[in-house]
Amino acid sequence: MSKLSYVGIDLGSTTTKSVVIDDDLNILGRGITNSRSNYDLACQIARTEALVDAQMSRLRSTLADHRVLADHVKILAPSVERSFRYRQHIRLFDALDRECMAIAEGKPDLTAVLADLLAEMREETEKLFSGLSAMEKRKSEFFRDIAGAQFQRLAEHRANPKTMPYETIVGVFDRAIIKVENEGDDLTFEGNALEALDRSLSQYKANDAVRAAAAEMLEGLLADPPHIGCSVGTGYGRARLPFPKNQIRSEILCHGLGAHQMFPGTRTVLDIGGQDTKGIQVDDQGIVTSFQMNDRCAAGCGRYLGYIADEMNLGVHELGPLALKATRHVRISSTCTVFAGAELRERLSLGEKREDILGGLHRAIILRAMSILARSGGVDEEFTFTGGVAHNPAAVRALRDLIGENYGKRTINISPDSIYMGALGAAIFAKRETDAGRAERGVGSQSEARA
Amino acid sequence: MTTGKDLITAGIDVGTSGVKVTVFRVSPDDHGTMLAKVAERIRRRDPKLVVEHCYELALEAAELTPEQVDYVASTGEGAMVGFRRGHFYGMTTHARGAAWLVPGAEGALDIGALHARAVRMDGRAKVLGYRMTSQCASGSGQFIENIARYLGVTIEEVGALSLEADEPEKPSGICAVLAETDVINMVSRGVSRPNILKGIHLSMADRLVRLLRSANVMGTVVLTGGLAADAGLRAALVDMVAADKRVACELVTHADAIYAGAIGAALWAAVRHRRLLARGTSPAATAAAASA
Repeated sequence: MSKLSYVGIDLGSTTTKSVVIDDDLNILGRGITNSRSNYDLACQIARTEALVDAQMSRLRSTLADHRVLADHVKILAPSVERSFRYRQHIRLFDALDRECMAIAEGKPDLTAVLADLLAEMREETEKLFSGLSAMEKRKSEFFRDIAGAQFQRLAEHRANPKTMPYETIVGVFDRAIIKVENEGDDLTFEGNALEALDRSLSQYKANDAVRAAAAEMLEGLLADPPHIGCSVGTGYGRARLPFPKNQIRSEILCHGLGAHQMFPGTRTVLDIGGQDTKGIQVDDQGIVTSFQMNDRCAAGCGRYLGYIADEMNLGVHELGPLALKATRHVRISSTCTVFAGAELRERLSLGEKREDILGGLHRAIILRAMSILARSGGVDEEFTFTGGVAHNPAAVRALRDLIGENYGKRTINISPDSIYMGALGAAIFAKRETDAGRAERGVGSQSEARA
Repeated sequence: MTTGKDLITAGIDVGTSGVKVTVFRVSPDDHGTMLAKVAERIRRRDPKLVVEHCYELALEAAELTPEQVDYVASTGEGAMVGFRRGHFYGMTTHARGAAWLVPGAEGALDIGALHARAVRMDGRAKVLGYRMTSQCASGSGQFIENIARYLGVTIEEVGALSLEADEPEKPSGICAVLAETDVINMVSRGVSRPNILKGIHLSMADRLVRLLRSANVMGTVVLTGGLAADAGLRAALVDMVAADKRVACELVTHADAIYAGAIGAALWAAVRHRRLLARGTSPAATAAAASA
C-alpha cells in the first residue's frame, strides 16, 4: 500500500466507529468499539480495529491469489481471523483476571470464588473462539459485553445471599473492567497477526510448504502497512479528541456527507444513534441545509433499545427480528427509557408476549423520529437512514410504513455500513484536508499505536 | 370473638428493583412487633419467584408456617404476589410504615428505584395529601445505581464517597440516560468520583425538595425506600431543605426505612383482618364457626 489512506473516527455515546478509506473513497476497513471515559483510547481502538479489518481483507485477497495457499483459503482465512480475535480477547481477559484477583486480595473467601469463576470463564472462552459458527454465537463483539454476561451468569451460580452475595462478586467485575478498558493493551494487527497465524496453522495441521508460504505472505503484509494521510474525528465526544481543530468536524456535517457519498441522491438523512436522533436535510453536494435533533431526553434513541435488550437478556441485534413476529402492538405508555424498561418487565410477568411488546416499542421509537424529521423539514426524495438502529429490521419496517403514510412514496436507502456513516464522512473530510495540504501528518495516524 | 387475640400478618412490598417482606405480630390494641424482615433485589429474575423466595425466608426467620399467618397483604406491584389476601396502595403503606418507624411523624418521603413520592399525613398515619414524580426517571434510585455501576462503586459506598466531595458538579441535563453520558464526560475530564456523586445527589435533592414543597409536607418527615440509606443523598437533602425557606420540615430516617412499605402493609393487614373477623366474612372466621 504505497498510496495514502485516510481515517475517520466517530466518537459516539455508546460506540466509537472508525473507517479507513483509500484515495478513491473506497472503504478499506471498518472498526468499532464501545465508548468509555478514556476517549483517546476509545478512538485508538476503533482506528486499530479499522486498520485490522483493512489488513484482514488484504490478507484474504492475498491468500486467494496465492499460488500455494489459494487451495486453503476457505479454511485458513476465517481461521486466522478467529485466532486473531481470540488473541485480542485473551489479552484483555488476562488483564481482567489480574485486576479481579488484585481487587479481592486479602479476602480469602472472595479470592477462592473468583479464582474458580475465572478458571471456568477461561475454559468457556476457548470454546467461544473455536468452531466455525463461533463468531455468531456471541451476542456482542465487545469484550466488555461478552465477559460481563459470562461473569454475571457464573456469579449467579456461585452466589449465596448470606455468605457471598451476588452483588459482591459482580462488584469486582464492575471495578476491574473499568481499569482493563481504560488502560488498554496491544490489539494491533502488527502485534498479534504472527501468533494468530501460528495458532491457526497448528489447528489446521498444515504441512511445511503451507507453513512457509503463509509465514512469507504475512511478512510481506507486515512489511507494507497502510500509510495514513490524516485522521478526522467527529461525534459526541469530538471536542475532547487530541486532534488539531481542523481535524475535527461536527457529526451533523459528517453524517450528511457520509450519506451523500454512499447514496448521492440523498436529500434527507435520519440518524438514530445511542443518545440522539437527528433529522438532517442536505443539498446535492452533501452539504447540510437544516437539521433537528432531540435534547434533554433519551426517549426514542438507540439506548432505549439497549435498555430493553438488557432487560430481556438479549443482544440488541436480536430485538428487531423478534419484534417482526408481533401479531399485535402492545402500547407502552412510558416515554422515559428507564421507565419503559420497568414497564416491560411488568408486562412480561403479566403474560404479554415479548414480540408484541417489542412491536409496540419499535413503533414508539420511530414515531419520535418522525416528529424530529418533520421539524427538520420533512422527508424529501431520496431518504437515507443511518446509525446503529438502521440495522434493526423492525425499526425499518415501522419507518417505511410511517413515511409511506405521511409523505407518500420515497426511495429509502439503507447501507450495511449505516453505523459507519459519520466515520465515513469524517474520513472524506480527512482526505480533503490532506489534499488541501492542511493535514498534520502523523497526528493520531500511527498504525502502531498501542491500543 | 377472636378479635381479642394477637394476629400474625405479613406485608410484601414489590418495588421495581427489589422485594421487601416483613412479618408482624399485632396485638389487639394495634401494637405491632416485627418478627422478621427480608429484602432482596430482583435483578432480572421473575419477580414472582423472588417474592415467593423472600416470603419463605421471612417465615423461616420468624419460625412460622404459612398456615399460621392470618393475613398476607401486598403493596407496590401487588399483582406479583399470587398468594396475597389483600392489597394496599403505596401511599397508605409508606405513611403507616413511616409512623411505625418514627412515632409522631407528619410526613414521608419515599425514594424508590423509579419513583419518589412525598406524603403528608396526620399523627395516626392517615394520608392527607401526596405528590409523585412521573414520566421521567431523573432523580430516581435507578439513576444513581447506573452511575455507580459505571464508576465501579457499590451502592453501599456511594454515600460515603459523596460526603467527601469538595467541588460537586451537577450533570447538565435531567434525563437519567443522557446523564450517564454526561458522567462519562466528567470522568474523562478528570472530575473526581466524590464530586460526580455529590453532583448527582444535589440534582436529585433538588427535585425531591420541589416534591416536598408541592405536597406541602411539614414537620417531621421520614425518608423511606431504598435511597434513605444513602448518607450522601440525605446530607444533600438536609442542606437543601435548610436553604429553602419555603419548606419547613425536619428530615429523619431509620435503619429499617427500606421496609416502610412492607411494614405498613403488615400493619394495615391486621386492621383489615380484624374488621373482616368482626363482620364474620373472613374465611378463617367461617372455618372457626363451622368447627364450633
